[in-house]
Amino acid sequence: MSLAEKSSGFRSFLRTLREHYRIVHSNPLGRIGFWIVIFFLVIAILAPWLAPHDPWEMQYDKDGNFASLQPPSWKFPAGTTHLGYDLFSQLILATRTTFIIGAVSGIISILIGANIGLFAGFYGGKLDEILMRFTDILYGMPFLPFVIVLIALFGRKLEFVILAIVLIIWRTSARVIRAQTIAIKQRQFITAARARGCSNLRIIYRHILPNVLPLLLLYASFNIAWSIITEASASFLGFGDGNTISWGGMLYELWLSGKTRVAWWWFASPSLCIILLVTSLVFVSRAYEEVANPRLRKR
Amino acid sequence: MLEYVIRRLIYMLITIFAVASILFVVFRLLPGEATLQVISPAMDDAVQDRMKAAFGLDKPLWQQYFIYLKNLVSLEWGRSFVSAQRVIDILQYRFWNTLLLMASGMCMTLVLGIGFGIIMAWKRNSSIDIGGTIAGLVFQAAPPFVTGLLLLMILSYRLGLFPTGGMYPAGQRPDGVLALLMMPAFWERIVLPTITVGLYYITTPMLIMRDNMLEVLGSDYIELAKAKGLKPSVVMFKHAARNALLGVVTLASIMVGFAIGGQVVVESLFSWPGMGQLMVESAASHDYPVAQGTFLMLAILVIGLNFLTDVWYCYLDPRIKISSTGLA
Repeated sequence: MSLAEKSSGFRSFLRTLREHYRIVHSNPLGRIGFWIVIFFLVIAILAPWLAPHDPWEMQYDKDGNFASLQPPSWKFPAGTTHLGYDLFSQLILATRTTFIIGAVSGIISILIGANIGLFAGFYGGKLDEILMRFTDILYGMPFLPFVIVLIALFGRKLEFVILAIVLIIWRTSARVIRAQTIAIKQRQFITAARARGCSNLRIIYRHILPNVLPLLLLYASFNIAWSIITEASASFLGFGDGNTISWGGMLYELWLSGKTRVAWWWFASPSLCIILLVTSLVFVSRAYEEVANPRLRKR
Repeated sequence: MLEYVIRRLIYMLITIFAVASILFVVFRLLPGEATLQVISPAMDDAVQDRMKAAFGLDKPLWQQYFIYLKNLVSLEWGRSFVSAQRVIDILQYRFWNTLLLMASGMCMTLVLGIGFGIIMAWKRNSSIDIGGTIAGLVFQAAPPFVTGLLLLMILSYRLGLFPTGGMYPAGQRPDGVLALLMMPAFWERIVLPTITVGLYYITTPMLIMRDNMLEVLGSDYIELAKAKGLKPSVVMFKHAARNALLGVVTLASIMVGFAIGGQVVVESLFSWPGMGQLMVESAASHDYPVAQGTFLMLAILVIGLNFLTDVWYCYLDPRIKISSTGLA
């Protein structure tokens, strides 16, 4: 953790990030993953301009016939659905949905998890006991069923899907960051800070937080990957927002239409996108793990 | 050991109780009032009141809560809104089906995962090692419905090797587990769901086993075993693998929690009549008593399996007794 220990102020934070980026980049798989994530991110940002057709508009081929279940061609690079919707446009717009879900639930969940972990670890005693018992109870909840039940009760809307995921996914990061906080709290520079008269909040956010930052970023990326998989799974089971397109939702439509026997292209492209994005996130995380856990670097 | 087990047992009961209480709050207080499913607002007010009284819904919330807890303990889990069957009866049948599929998936995961992990550590940095790592990460990133659909499309639709779903042919419901296990049609149907679940969970034990093996292989007693002139395979499997297994056991408890999620997806995909499929169906049709009961049952399964893995771990590594609760 020596990297982050020196950090104070925004500029050194940036320097630390650049250094972390270099570590990720020095790992071949991490580098590939990083650029794939950036590629998807650009698509997500530019989605409405990149999509050639309205994703929910029936398409016609050049003879003016209804383009139902067309395999990939120059006109429809990813083929069409049984209702003649252009899958390529759906894929592009779904990328945006996926990024919104991943980023929002990843960030919110890491904020919750980090704060609970920091406070529980730093204060210890009763507060620690209460927060960690609560986390343990959450660990007793089966993950996907929890998300499904909440979506069913709240309603099938994008913000509720995100809320349902956030409500359970923070548990892992809270535990990990608590453990790290306890380890750091015993170090000498914390005692020194306390002797200087720093307030508890200042010690938590200015002295401990920078030191758990690598771990925090690592778990943020895990949370993003997990949110994406969870949303895809929930959507595939019919617990997604019907008004926004997602990769899991596209596969749900395929399953509902009963065209699994014929429309391989309808299956292939959303599946590939999910696997590619999540694998890339995992590659980046694994490369980044060396920052969070320098012991690994020596091996 | 005994003290640890008892404390862990009490702790398990408290967690189940807490989960049940949260369920009560979630199903009673959230928007989309569950009672609307049965007591329609179109009914006469007097009828509505009488029905509410019959269900005990006119009582204050805290009384409802105690009635709820009493009913949970006495296994009165209510009746399905849809089929009017008792929830506990539905669950009884579904529970074993889920356990059956989970057990076979877990067996595949652990045997293959640990096996490959050992081989990968043995042939460190070879193409087997690198290829195995990448394949593992890809399988982990592929949600189970993607793997499952792919298997269905290739092995069932194209090649016609396996039936597309269910647990036994329609109209041939076997009486009892033994009769089920004797059916060739059952074994044909369990293959695809097992592979799907297994592939999804194989990565974690495989990579952990590999890392643990590498760590263990660096220790002195392995050097000694090698120096004694033992065969490399004996050193690998008899000396190193045993100690490396310990870390996989700790992971088992985390895996169990996630396994339920994969189970839900795979059961729905292969129409496997288990609790996961029931969960999805009941939540989709707003059959709240069934959804609530199934969720609680799945939670008990997770908590119970966590308990078992903790006790097992304590048995394997007695050092854990010293730490207070051992709830890593």
